[in-house]
Amino acid sequence: MNPAVDTVLGPSHAAANGVLIEGVGLAKHFGGIAAVDGVDFTVSAGDLIGLIGPNGSGKTTLINILTGHLSPNAGRVLVHGHPMAARPAHEFAGRGVARTFQLTQLFGRMTVLENMMVPGLTRPRSTRDGAAKQARAYLTFLNLIHLEGLDAKNLSGGQQKLLELGRALMLEPSVLFLDEPFAGVHPRLRDELIKRIQELHAAGRTFVVVDHDMESILRIAKRLVVMARGRKIADGPPGAVRADQNVLAAYSGL
Amino acid sequence: MRGLHAAILVAGAGLLLGYGHLLNSYWMHVLIIAMFYAILSSSWSLLAGYAGLFSLGHVAFASVGGYTSALLVQFTGIPVPLGMAAGTAACCLIGAGIGWICLRLTGPYLAIFTLAFSEIIRIIVSTEDEVTRGMTGLHTVPLFNTVSRLPYFYTVFGLLAGSLALMGLLVHSRWGLFLRAIREDEQAAAASGVAVARFRILGFAIASGFAGLAGTFYAHYIPVLTPDIGDLDRMALLVVMTVIGGMERIPTAVGGAIGIEFLQEYLRAFGIWRLEIFGIVLLLTMRFARNGLLTPLWLQFVRLGEVRRPAAGAPEGIGTEASPGGSAV
Amino acid sequence: MIDYFLIQATNGLVIGIIYSLVAVGVTLIFSILKIVNFAHGDLYMLGGYTAYYAITLAGIPPFPAMFVAMAAVFTLGVILERLFLTPLYSERTERKDEYGIIITFGLAFFLRNAAIIAFGVFPLKPPSFVAGVYRIGALVVTNDRLFAGVVGLLLIFALLYFMTGTIWGQALDAVSQSRDSASIVGINPRRFNTLAYAVGAALAAAAGALIGPIFAVAPDMGVLPNIQSYVIVILGGMGSVGGSIIAGITLGEAQALFTAFLPDMTRALSYSNAFSVFVLMVVLMFRPTGFFGRRHLRME
Repeated sequence: MNPAVDTVLGPSHAAANGVLIEGVGLAKHFGGIAAVDGVDFTVSAGDLIGLIGPNGSGKTTLINILTGHLSPNAGRVLVHGHPMAARPAHEFAGRGVARTFQLTQLFGRMTVLENMMVPGLTRPRSTRDGAAKQARAYLTFLNLIHLEGLDAKNLSGGQQKLLELGRALMLEPSVLFLDEPFAGVHPRLRDELIKRIQELHAAGRTFVVVDHDMESILRIAKRLVVMARGRKIADGPPGAVRADQNVLAAYSGL
Repeated sequence: MRGLHAAILVAGAGLLLGYGHLLNSYWMHVLIIAMFYAILSSSWSLLAGYAGLFSLGHVAFASVGGYTSALLVQFTGIPVPLGMAAGTAACCLIGAGIGWICLRLTGPYLAIFTLAFSEIIRIIVSTEDEVTRGMTGLHTVPLFNTVSRLPYFYTVFGLLAGSLALMGLLVHSRWGLFLRAIREDEQAAAASGVAVARFRILGFAIASGFAGLAGTFYAHYIPVLTPDIGDLDRMALLVVMTVIGGMERIPTAVGGAIGIEFLQEYLRAFGIWRLEIFGIVLLLTMRFARNGLLTPLWLQFVRLGEVRRPAAGAPEGIGTEASPGGSAV
Repeated sequence: MIDYFLIQATNGLVIGIIYSLVAVGVTLIFSILKIVNFAHGDLYMLGGYTAYYAITLAGIPPFPAMFVAMAAVFTLGVILERLFLTPLYSERTERKDEYGIIITFGLAFFLRNAAIIAFGVFPLKPPSFVAGVYRIGALVVTNDRLFAGVVGLLLIFALLYFMTGTIWGQALDAVSQSRDSASIVGINPRRFNTLAYAVGAALAAAAGALIGPIFAVAPDMGVLPNIQSYVIVILGGMGSVGGSIIAGITLGEAQALFTAFLPDMTRALSYSNAFSVFVLMVVLMFRPTGFFGRRHLRME
């Protein structure tokens, strides 16, 4: 690995210890349907959480709440101990909560580098040179550096997923939520993505990964959270969770 | 040669300033009106092209600015420049208000909302004719006490140059980058830490302020001000100018405004057919050359000012020029 | 005095029905093409002019002339849709919202100026459908208004029948709910875009032809009905035809009575328009994307 890159992989927040995000009693209803129904969810520093569950079990809704894109009907979200009720999403980003989207959401008619510069320049006391340097380091790490001048919409699907990860990293986040990072990605690129996530985790970054691809999730997750019908039905080390009767029931019920 | 294109532009502007007084009164008038439109089209390009906020109420702000200034000067007797400043400030404030109310609106809904705003302004201005003189027109206090157009020419030139300089600074700054990010995907922009609401309001306030500034100048240049300044046909003409030129870049929007205004005069013999021809050109531009007719020319022109490098390197930094792979539909 | 209000109320009813007819077309086009047609008022205006010239130049009686106007503007709708709206269905077109706004706004500009060139700026008054007035006691209504109201209602019912009782209409309704249903029944979905735009245009043309003898025709006659139609679509239960009729009549009545109650007639007329536009802004503030909350037509 490029030694220049190595220095940027780890979190810059020195106080990255203990509980990063705490969601308590979260609930969200759409019309009469409870998408998330009384869920507690805690992310601690150094976690690599796999969040799984059948379709419609409320995973994405939960992520949207924890990253500020939806405000819950009940419950509270604390980021680094700060209550974030009804705060806009960009304040979550400002506090080091980064995310990607289920369907990749890039700034299509902006170049790869510009995509990276946007979060880079939202950080306080950021300079253009500093952000560009950091952006190029991440682009090198993600093997996208040769594409930096291309409009993001012209990248392949897998490259777009990588760029979205890079853009999230530009926030120097204390926790990254990845919503279905492996969906529709070519197997070779998927392996690369997994490798990058593992490298970043080894460097001290915290992840919550949502996906249907059980095989990929089980390859990386250190902790598994299972949701079904808006509720959390299991939470623990992958081995224990896989043996859990509730989980088996939820999945066989598919 | 590095910066050649900028040098050519500055030289052109210098020539215009140095020899502008040689223009006859008629063409000077055309040029003044063209520069008035250029302020409107460049600021609409900032709003619609950069920030992706499709306001159909942009000329309504010219109307608000113009009438605010003209009426203030008339009823309170304050000097004209002060009235113009007040009119511009009022437009910034109202623009921010509209931006705030519209925060949740996008696409056609925003267009309908701003169209409605524009109609309300027009209705109020034409109905309250005891104050505004309605369709008969308001006799405004002129900015300069002279029959010569030359001082107006220098003034509007200064206003346009100043506006363009400010807008140029804005679009090349990180704020410009954030506005484009919001245009592309608001949710992703928020996830990247961009304060979407703040920048949308800011975009509206700034663009409306420039429209108001143009309106205040117009009000004190044209002897009789009518509600036409902010009607739907004027908005349509602005769309024609900006889209034909190229709405995603401020220089092409300016070029569109100046080009169309000169064509309007040059094609006088065609009478009412001119607008119809512009309408057709607008439709064809949208259909076949959506980036605008001047955009390829402008990109070619900018290339004059680039340092030639052996390999076709990627663009540097966070320039505002979209890469050449930009969409041609 | 009470008679005056009755007359105003009847006028409001008729205008409301005409507005509904315009609004139903806007809804139809939105539900299929997913665009707001900013040129709708200008199709209405062209309907008015076509009827005028069919009567005065070709000597066609007023009522058949309305159908001539509908056919002509239907054809124009087909042509405009084929020429300018097809990029909306292409995968390669980006920013379709932007394209839809500018192209229909541009079409409006084009059609309005074409009308000025072809017909001049001065209002023209076509002959009456049915001359004379109708009296019930003290209530006096021109036959033209009664005629416009009745025919307008019949046209809306004809549309309802078309949408529910004919194969093409049912397919159109299905497409408005789901794009895929068109391919399931094996019809090229693009033909529905053309059909929807043209039917919407024809309804607007009918409204323009009906309003001609009441208000006269002029190149800018479509500007306000265009905006009013958005008000109706919003108030009228978002895509519901029945709701649009009720909302249209409510709007017509509100404006007529507003005008009747205020002492200053011209000001009342102006501000009744401003008021409905203001209602539009307020509703949009609270229903930012709920303009057509349901994405398809509802036939009740």
